[in-house]
Amino acid sequence: MTLSEGKVRLKSGAKRASLTLLQAAAICLLAWLAHGLVLYFALPVPGGVVGLGVLLALLSLKWVPEKALQAGAAWLLGDLLLFFIPPVISVIQYEAMIEQYGARMLGFLVAGSVTVLLGTAWVVDKAFKFERGLHLARAGGRL
Amino acid sequence: MSHTSLALLSLVITLMGYYGAKRLYSRLGYWWAAPILLAPLLIIAAVLLLDIPLPSYFEYTHFLVLLLGPATIAFALPIYRERALIRRYPITLTLGVMAGLLLGLVSSWGLVKLFALPPEIGHSVLVRSVSTPFAMEATTAFGGVPELTAMVVLMTGVVGMLLCGPLFRFGRVRSSLARGVALGASAHGAGAAKAREYGEEEAVVASLTMIFTGIAMVLGAPVFALFLV
Repeated sequence: MTLSEGKVRLKSGAKRASLTLLQAAAICLLAWLAHGLVLYFALPVPGGVVGLGVLLALLSLKWVPEKALQAGAAWLLGDLLLFFIPPVISVIQYEAMIEQYGARMLGFLVAGSVTVLLGTAWVVDKAFKFERGLHLARAGGRL
Repeated sequence: MSHTSLALLSLVITLMGYYGAKRLYSRLGYWWAAPILLAPLLIIAAVLLLDIPLPSYFEYTHFLVLLLGPATIAFALPIYRERALIRRYPITLTLGVMAGLLLGLVSSWGLVKLFALPPEIGHSVLVRSVSTPFAMEATTAFGGVPELTAMVVLMTGVVGMLLCGPLFRFGRVRSSLARGVALGASAHGAGAAKAREYGEEEAVVASLTMIFTGIAMVLGAPVFALFLV
């Protein structure tokens, strides 16, 4: 890589980063507005879900193009894990509790995950066969 | 070290631990290097070794937690992008989301009794199957502790990621829709990441299921709490 090539790459990297940041900031602004709306009207729905609904409506009405927020949204969703690391770290204050119940919690988690994974897959398999049947019947009716 | 320098150090440790683990995983690909497992372990180890007090740790890192709200809103984009799939399988997706949500809630409730977990933990684990931004929002309705909830949600993701392969073989789960919905409903973000290994359709279905179960959990939590707490 030549020096000028490196410069170009650095420049486009900085441009992409600032675009991502700007778009993420726009989504933060929407979050803040949605939160204000919920407080003002004392809505029983949390701000995040209201904001999600508003943004979905704006996208569907084509008032906001998908491209305008894509990079920011991709960063917020791609690095979701980073945002909840602080509360996870603070479990060290529950050390005694985890030492006492850790093994049981693991058993709880395994049993729960098996239930949800198998149970949901079974329901979806049945529902899928039914819905595919509907699609086929509809397609057959048209012939 | 002073409070401020410890606080700054905590932020640096958190960012480096997270992005370092992410990079390592993309290079190595071993399951134990998955950021969901490695990043918290590295950061907890550093905080304990350096003896950083929690108030110092939170001073600057709590700004990261504030981004969970905007992240919830960002879920609007994948929903919009996959509207064709939603329109094609509305019944399957709705039933899958409902089944995943109810099985998650009811199994958690029953297993808390079975394993005799104390109320502080018991109330925090009911939302374990949904994505963190939604779980953190919903857990207060059940009287849960947000920190314990965050940890249990994280561990649920890891457990689901590790169990799904053998379970799908055992249960002969082969359709992409069933795999995707099951992973999204039981292991949220980690499940959606795992679903990508099965295929693109599995990944999309898992992400959609994760988002819808999350929304349904937040909206339904006050009602579910009447029955389960």
